[in-house]
Amino acid sequence: MKQQGHDPHSELRPNRRAVLMGAASAAALGTTGALGTFSGLALAQNNLRSQISQIPGVGKGAPTDADWQKVGELCLGPTRASVKEGEFKGVELSFMGLNNQNLHNLLFRGFLKPWEAYTGAKISWIDLAQADYNPRLQQAIATGTVDFDILEMGAPFEGDVCGKGLASEMPDWVKKQIDIDDYVDYLKPPVGTWNGKTYRVTIDGDCHNFNYRTDYFSDPALAKAWKDAGNQSEWGVPKTWQQVQAVTKFLKGKKIKGQNAYGYLDAPKPWGGFGFYFLASRASAYAKHPDDKAWLFDVDTMKPRINNPAWVRAIQDVIDALPSEPADQLNADPNTTGFQQFLAGIGSMIPWWGDIGQVAKASDTSVVGDVVGFDILPGSEDVYNSRTGKWDKLASGPNHAPNCAYLGWGIYVMARVASDERKHKAAWSAAAHLGGKDLSLWMVMYPSGFQAHRTSHFDFDEWVAAGYDRKYITSYLNSQRTSYNHPNRAVEPRIPGIFQYYSIAEDELTKIFAGRVDAQTGANNIAAAWEKLTDQIGREKQVALYKASLGV
Amino acid sequence: MQNSSSVADARHHKPASPRVAGSRKNVGRAVVILASLAFLALLLIQILYAAGATTSGFADWRPILAAYLFWAIAIGIGQVVIRGERGLRALFLLPAVFFTVAVVIFPTLFGFYIASLDWNLSSLEGPRFYGFNNLIGLFHDTYYWNALGNMIFYTAAVLGEYAVAFGLALLLNAEIRARKFFRVVFLLPMMLSPVAVSWMIGKSLMEYRFGPAATLARYLGWDNPAFFASPWMAWLSIEAMDAWVSIPFIMIILLAGLQAMPKEVQEAAKVDGANGWQSFWHVTFPITLPVSITVLIIRIIFKLKLADIVINVTAGGPGGATDTVSSFIYRVYRDRSNVGYGTGLAIFYLLLIIALLTILLRLSNRWTQKVE
Repeated sequence: MKQQGHDPHSELRPNRRAVLMGAASAAALGTTGALGTFSGLALAQNNLRSQISQIPGVGKGAPTDADWQKVGELCLGPTRASVKEGEFKGVELSFMGLNNQNLHNLLFRGFLKPWEAYTGAKISWIDLAQADYNPRLQQAIATGTVDFDILEMGAPFEGDVCGKGLASEMPDWVKKQIDIDDYVDYLKPPVGTWNGKTYRVTIDGDCHNFNYRTDYFSDPALAKAWKDAGNQSEWGVPKTWQQVQAVTKFLKGKKIKGQNAYGYLDAPKPWGGFGFYFLASRASAYAKHPDDKAWLFDVDTMKPRINNPAWVRAIQDVIDALPSEPADQLNADPNTTGFQQFLAGIGSMIPWWGDIGQVAKASDTSVVGDVVGFDILPGSEDVYNSRTGKWDKLASGPNHAPNCAYLGWGIYVMARVASDERKHKAAWSAAAHLGGKDLSLWMVMYPSGFQAHRTSHFDFDEWVAAGYDRKYITSYLNSQRTSYNHPNRAVEPRIPGIFQYYSIAEDELTKIFAGRVDAQTGANNIAAAWEKLTDQIGREKQVALYKASLGV
Repeated sequence: MQNSSSVADARHHKPASPRVAGSRKNVGRAVVILASLAFLALLLIQILYAAGATTSGFADWRPILAAYLFWAIAIGIGQVVIRGERGLRALFLLPAVFFTVAVVIFPTLFGFYIASLDWNLSSLEGPRFYGFNNLIGLFHDTYYWNALGNMIFYTAAVLGEYAVAFGLALLLNAEIRARKFFRVVFLLPMMLSPVAVSWMIGKSLMEYRFGPAATLARYLGWDNPAFFASPWMAWLSIEAMDAWVSIPFIMIILLAGLQAMPKEVQEAAKVDGANGWQSFWHVTFPITLPVSITVLIIRIIFKLKLADIVINVTAGGPGGATDTVSSFIYRVYRDRSNVGYGTGLAIFYLLLIIALLTILLRLSNRWTQKVE
């Protein structure tokens, strides 16, 4: 973070002369009748959206702090409408969030710098690495030492934070400012709410999609080798996990463009609980039956399903695939597979959140921008039915169950600001600025750590105008939209301690992947540990919260 | 000039203290006993309250802290009353006592208390009294015993580090060219933090695709030099990184020992016809043995805390092969938010370390005495 990058922000603010000139021009246009009242507003907004979409421009390298500040300044309109200049002078707010891959909090700093300059408020920052996020937050919650006013948090923690009354309810003016109805359906209540009250400004979608290399699956040499190996099907992008496995094993020892070719990239190294999502993405098609909303636990008892045949099959898939993956894959966490392998040109298939699609095109770190394609997660020929204990083949074809992993990041204001009216308004104003409709468009277009989460984000023309290739962006956005709206999507439970369940699983999974225990034994160990954890946290309440999170 | 008996008299002289009346002593003792009983009773009630066994107690522990201060003051007053002027002088020790209690005794006792709780940070019920169940759970925890098993190997590897360090110390003690330059070079790794080492060495130098170590290994015929992929190789790689940081420390202490050794002893051995090995084994090594034992014990203490390199590079993997007790405890706290159990693990480990060091110190005393 270069502080000097923030310094010129004051120069970005329009001076009185510029404002008067702008107003005069607008008035002149208005008097000529060239623009109607409403079309004028709409045009202004469209202009703003297309203007910020060109900062810095897709394919022109990674955005910098100056770009974030510029975007923050340009999107300050709604704040100006609801807050007087200098209204929060003397107010100090602390903000806790992530600094993953130099994104999240670092962007927020840039976006909020003009907001601070205009409102007079000052923000201090608590930056956390992904793996440190959960323990820091849990500690603050459990010990009553909430030392932040604004929090960047994922919906899975809502049980811990909102359930304990630590969050401030969203005022109506904020709902209007951020156009809360624009959120995609899957992020509407109950997500972001608790006991019917709204708490979160959503800034992210979050759902694993399938990222693949188009050049692999259009390579004639590989296609020929595939046929020569006796495969009956055509060489192409896998649609099921069975095909993913076959392709991964086939590619072992093959070359593409002179480099070693690899298929699927697993992420076996623990990642503070977040790595479990990647096994879950392999498991959802096996474990999430269309007739059953649950897939991690039994709804009425919280009995774990992690050791049922579906999950064990997914674990076994990893074990079987690892010998065909790069040599040191056991030490790869999702950061490695996404940013140091796939985007660096190693491997042909990974599941990830939306970051891959943005970074591939709008960052300096990718070498695969032109050859990435997207789809929903692969399906499975058969799906396990936990109620009957049998594998079902669906009449509709392969079972797909997109993994709605994490339910997106949001901005939450803490209840501790409630006693100070100015602080309360300032905190919500900052949150609303970050979650603003126009600002959100920029965030989902460029590397930010966030993916599409509003209906308005799926206007493909806006992306094309920003510089995205239409075919590329259609594939990217459709993979997300289809996942969000999929009738059999696998939804993340919003229950306390969810990352402890994941973390325990990660520890045991490393033993399984290293060959120290077999898949079934390891899965049984995870299930036993999960049972113990459920008892420790409180089974009855967990059951109730789990049901509520699934809407059953 | 004083004679020796007058010096001894002066050394044993104690200034006369005014006699304290028996009744006054009784008052002082009563103050000490009553204050202690009151404090203990308050502490017990608060523990029972925190454990949910009683409904009377304080919302937090601040009143207990205040009670502790009152108790300490009462003891001070009691001592003055009982011992008169000598008691007054003893008050000068109070700051040290406060400090020791605050940073050693209280945290240890508090640790024992936390270890007796079933306390998961996500628990909706909050902490609950759990007795010895955390300890019992520990005996069934395969991760903990796996980490302890790894620690035995890590600790045993200290002997290897010592051998290398001794060799380097002998080299730098000899009359070689550019001795000062080599001393500085060999000391450099010690100045790096283990976190920096884990990134520089573990994540860059030993990276399996582009890392220089991997490139060299490929050149030497190792097709897929993945230093952290197989359990034993990963363990060896972590040990190598830790040794690289620590050997300079052992070396510099041994070098100091060698430098302090009188040159005449070596020269006498040479005159007696001892060759290089005989001179080392029968003269140099025994004389530096006390230094060696000291540095080995210090190194073992550091080794038992090994965590940072493991956490950064392998997270204990693959399959727990590189896990240490400290890195496992860190995960229990950080990822599982299991405060009660994590504290139980830490306290049990502390007791093991105390036992191990006690044995080592006794053995070292015997060896040192033998040499002397």
